[in-house]
Amino acid sequence: MRKLFLLILAIPMILLAACGGENEANPEQGNESSESGESGEQDLVYATTSDAPGLSPIDTNDSVSSHVIEQIYETLFQRNTETGEIEPRLAESYETPDDNTWVIHLKEDIEFQDGTPFNAEAVKYTFETFLDPDRGAPRASLLAPIDTIDVEDEYTVVLNTSEPYGAMLAALSHSNASIVSPEADQNGDINEEPVGTGPYQFVEWEKGDEIVLEKNADYWRGEPTLEQVTFRVVPSVSTAISMMETGEVHFIDGITSEHSSRIEGNESINLQTNDGTPVYAFGVNYEREPMSNPEFRKALAHAIDRDAYVDTLDGLGTRSDSIVGEQVFGYEEGSENIGYEYDPEKAREIIEENNFDEETIEMLVPNRDMYINMGEVVQAQFSEVGIDVEMEMMDWGTYLDVSAEDEFDVSFFGWSNVTGDGSELLYPVLHSDNIGSSNRARYANDEFDELVDASRQTTDQDERQELIAQANELAVEDAIWVPMHHGVIAAAVHESVDNLELDATGSWELYQVTRE
Amino acid sequence: MINLIVSRIVQMFFLLIGISFIVFMSMHFAPGDPAKIIGGPTATESDISSIRANLGLDRPVLVQYKDYLVGLFQGDLGYSYQSNQSVNEAIATRFPNTLNLAVASIIVAIVIGVFAGIISALKQNSWMDVFTTTGALAGISIPNFWLGTILILIFAVNLNWLPAGGLSAPFWTVQGMKELALPAITLGTGSAALIARMTRSSMLEVIRSDYVRTARAKGVKEKVVVFVHCMRNAMIPVITVIGMNFGFLLGGTIIVEQVFAINGVGRLMIDAIADRDFPMVQGSVLLVASLFVIVNLVVDIIYAFIDPRISYD
Repeated sequence: MRKLFLLILAIPMILLAACGGENEANPEQGNESSESGESGEQDLVYATTSDAPGLSPIDTNDSVSSHVIEQIYETLFQRNTETGEIEPRLAESYETPDDNTWVIHLKEDIEFQDGTPFNAEAVKYTFETFLDPDRGAPRASLLAPIDTIDVEDEYTVVLNTSEPYGAMLAALSHSNASIVSPEADQNGDINEEPVGTGPYQFVEWEKGDEIVLEKNADYWRGEPTLEQVTFRVVPSVSTAISMMETGEVHFIDGITSEHSSRIEGNESINLQTNDGTPVYAFGVNYEREPMSNPEFRKALAHAIDRDAYVDTLDGLGTRSDSIVGEQVFGYEEGSENIGYEYDPEKAREIIEENNFDEETIEMLVPNRDMYINMGEVVQAQFSEVGIDVEMEMMDWGTYLDVSAEDEFDVSFFGWSNVTGDGSELLYPVLHSDNIGSSNRARYANDEFDELVDASRQTTDQDERQELIAQANELAVEDAIWVPMHHGVIAAAVHESVDNLELDATGSWELYQVTRE
Repeated sequence: MINLIVSRIVQMFFLLIGISFIVFMSMHFAPGDPAKIIGGPTATESDISSIRANLGLDRPVLVQYKDYLVGLFQGDLGYSYQSNQSVNEAIATRFPNTLNLAVASIIVAIVIGVFAGIISALKQNSWMDVFTTTGALAGISIPNFWLGTILILIFAVNLNWLPAGGLSAPFWTVQGMKELALPAITLGTGSAALIARMTRSSMLEVIRSDYVRTARAKGVKEKVVVFVHCMRNAMIPVITVIGMNFGFLLGGTIIVEQVFAINGVGRLMIDAIADRDFPMVQGSVLLVASLFVIVNLVVDIIYAFIDPRISYD
């Protein structure tokens, strides 16, 4: 009976497969085969689970858009994927005559893809538009310390800040600070038809389906090898992996441990990994009882067995007590063990001594990615030491809303840290300025605030390193954020793809990528 | 007949206004703020308030609804909060894909369902009857997302006969058939099972009726008895099921479009709900609601053609 069922299913499929063969053989219908995903030798298809909201660095603030933006546009500075150092890209060099002045010399003879010359005026236009309240750029806070922008000569631009801005170079290397063609922005919508100086240029965007780019033959660093790059929307990661197995897709990033074993078991797919800047932590609501009690927080930190949790990630996460991860500027050697070790006995002791076992705490868990796993592990470990946990799971949109308000006891937080800079991690997530928005732990500690402020306001990078390390140690000691794991950037890459480098921040460039 | 159509269209108008109000209000009062989703976890308070002002979300809800209704009467469904794309345009580009999928699925469902139902009724209690009724039970019980994944693994990954995902051509072209085969089977299986069950019971009832016995006694050929005398009457309840199922299929496209990477209205709706993209949610819900009403109207009209005893005047 099973055979008959399979036969009934198989007959039309065989017919279709046979018809398909004829179709591919017909050169007139070549377009159809490329639409179905079978691509040429130097074409690359990247699968993304959702479509980009826009393609303008000024008007977007999300990772899907950034991946496309990073191939079309360029920033003044760029993080070196291997060393993590920030190096000039569109900039040639820079100097800081005083703490509030950044003089940036630009590379010469570069053109945008529409032929507009890249110069100091273009930089001034981009940043002024980015900071214009009428434009309402969602990531305007990135360059907020910039007060005025002066054009000194055609290839020299001066950024004057209202206060010293230590993370300026990290901010200028952020994809949202990419330089746009003023001509294209004034005469069209760069969110729909982007124009930058990068190695690939925009061809078409079928909303919800795919974005197609082609190589920029006049690219200033030399022509890229890939002829065409397609960003195809495939909502299910499992389907995307199947499409990679059939050769319809060549690159998928953001792979989690759920899918890693399937990828590792396939010879035609490589799992490429790189230690990353993202950090995922268990955190408390500092304003609520009993989380405001340092003893209770210590008990919570002692109760979580993070080694056991990290083992469940199949190598796609690393364990460290430090909030500022090893790949982030400001990390201090040896700080991976500065926190509270797993000691359920000690946790139980503190809880019993202080009668914390009478409390039931409400744990907020977003129902995406690894947060569900974290929630289940932590809930079980807390109940072992006598803490009763009520878990409330919710979708991402609701979580962003609820966790920004004082409406939970404990939760899980994550920060991808695209700048790779420690003060750009500690300031948004734990500085009291950001209570009610990105400081979801509602942490307010004057000493910590002062250290972070100082790290943001000094331009001496050695001093910044020291200040970030001190602030980090203070927050770990206060057990506000207990890092569950530091992210490992993981991508499934088809065997035909060469030279793909994943940056610790999760970004990647396709300029040097080739296909065999 | 004309009266029926006119009165249904008037009813539909008020129904859609009601639906638009309920969807608008429930989206606005549900937890989750579109501005916070656009800003993401990195947004500061000033970033969020500037996004909110840009989207016009800082105005009173009733004022926002009034503006939305005014747009609606002019045929303008508004602009996406996420991408600023016109909702009309977003739906216009995705609807053909959903319609392709739904039509291909209903064809699969009707062909398999009616065929299996007739065979199983004619050969009652035979192995074929047991096979179809068991198959129907399995078809109803198997979840779409599971069946879809399994079909991809067998026919795309292992046998390499069909693409694993995507849709770039209409269902009547070879390319479209290749791309739609797996999604249409996935989505159509559940409906095929329901149709098979309904056809079987309806056929069994008709086969035993007096006029069929008379036809046979007159020496009419068995094929004519089955396909002309029996089917015409047996099909009335089946058409009701098909009509209702077409509506449910539109709901089922949400999952199947996710699994097979088809850029349709179902996926648009689910993404819009997750992003709290209010105009996009309202636009797609209104579209699905209108289709539901239209399909029911069409089913009522088909009744009158199949069974001359039914009259709406």
